Amino acid sequence: MKLSDKVTVPAHVMSRQVGEEYVMLDLAQGVYFGLDPVGARLWQLLCEGMSLERACAAMLGEYDVPRAQLESDVLRLAEELAAQGLIEIGNPGGP
Amino acid sequence: MTGYTRREPRLQGPADAPAYHEWLGDNSVVTSFHRTPGGYLVRFPQLADFEISQDAGAVACHPAPSVDQATCDHLFLNQVLPLVLSKRGKLVFHGSVVEIAGSAAAFLGPSGMGKSTLAAAFVNAGHRFLGDDGFVLEKAGDGSRVLPSHPSIRLWNDSESAILAGRWAKAPPVSCSGKNRLLEGTKGRFCDEALPLGAAYFLGKTTRSAIRFEPLDPSEALLQWVRNSFLLDPREPAVIATHFESLAGIANTLPCFRLDYPRRFAELHRVLDSVTGHFERQAA
Repeated sequence: MKLSDKVTVPAHVMSRQVGEEYVMLDLAQGVYFGLDPVGARLWQLLCEGMSLERACAAMLGEYDVPRAQLESDVLRLAEELAAQGLIEIGNPGGP
Repeated sequence: MTGYTRREPRLQGPADAPAYHEWLGDNSVVTSFHRTPGGYLVRFPQLADFEISQDAGAVACHPAPSVDQATCDHLFLNQVLPLVLSKRGKLVFHGSVVEIAGSAAAFLGPSGMGKSTLAAAFVNAGHRFLGDDGFVLEKAGDGSRVLPSHPSIRLWNDSESAILAGRWAKAPPVSCSGKNRLLEGTKGRFCDEALPLGAAYFLGKTTRSAIRFEPLDPSEALLQWVRNSFLLDPREPAVIATHFESLAGIANTLPCFRLDYPRRFAELHRVLDSVTGHFERQAA
């Protein structure tokens, strides 16, 4: 996975903000997932249609964290989300 | 429709479809759920088959041979009816509810955590109860309200002796539960009107003597509401989407707590005082 990858949330995934966190429901499997406030912020940006790259840029302005660490954390979380089927990855301009 | 049609007794042969869901107890299946061409089959092994229509508008019971009416009624009231109501879009939860200062306090948790004992103790202390084992929640303005369920409380012998002390009449015994169903013994103890829900307490650990109230983050509260929900078909996307939406709304607005307390009859009065004070402070 790369930061330039385009990310989409599949139709079978629902999410709602509860307090400062997000809880996601995979409607296909009936399984629930939770994200802490930082993960929730990334999720919110991805749901707005941002790429991982743009989401990183936005979060750099919000959190006191070195760029390399943030990008590494974002990629790791995105890979976990993809492994659970909560996001799908595609290349910009791709099919 | 809140009843069921009793059909002829029959032996339980193999179900037409494998179970899509099962409830387990003591290492054996106590309830299995199957889809059928007409809706659902909810099977209680050795006891009864309940057929539920696709829209949950009709329920029929085939008891196993020699299973009596009281057992079928018990299974329907405690297990099948909450599932039927969930299929009709109601929010149904596993918990007991009592009235404190004009609002409803809900106690939720798996079987054996003390929901009924707490409810009976509150009743004994002069409070009204809205339900003992399951309750329906519906949206009311910015909050939610609890609908009254059934004017009875199910207790094990020790809780009955310690709290109600033979003052309430027993319903006929059933072959599927060792608990006694106690019928409202004093008029006015059952609250037959809907009340606004003021707070929910998810019953936690047994402690030596401390009584602890831990506020739940909304995300944790949401998952607790999910765990304590009745859902006939938890794999039906449209139903669980609506359910999720509703529960997220509740978790975001309602004060929810984990309640740890000593499970000793001698401590119940102290638990009641603490819960009452805590609940009233939420409303203040």
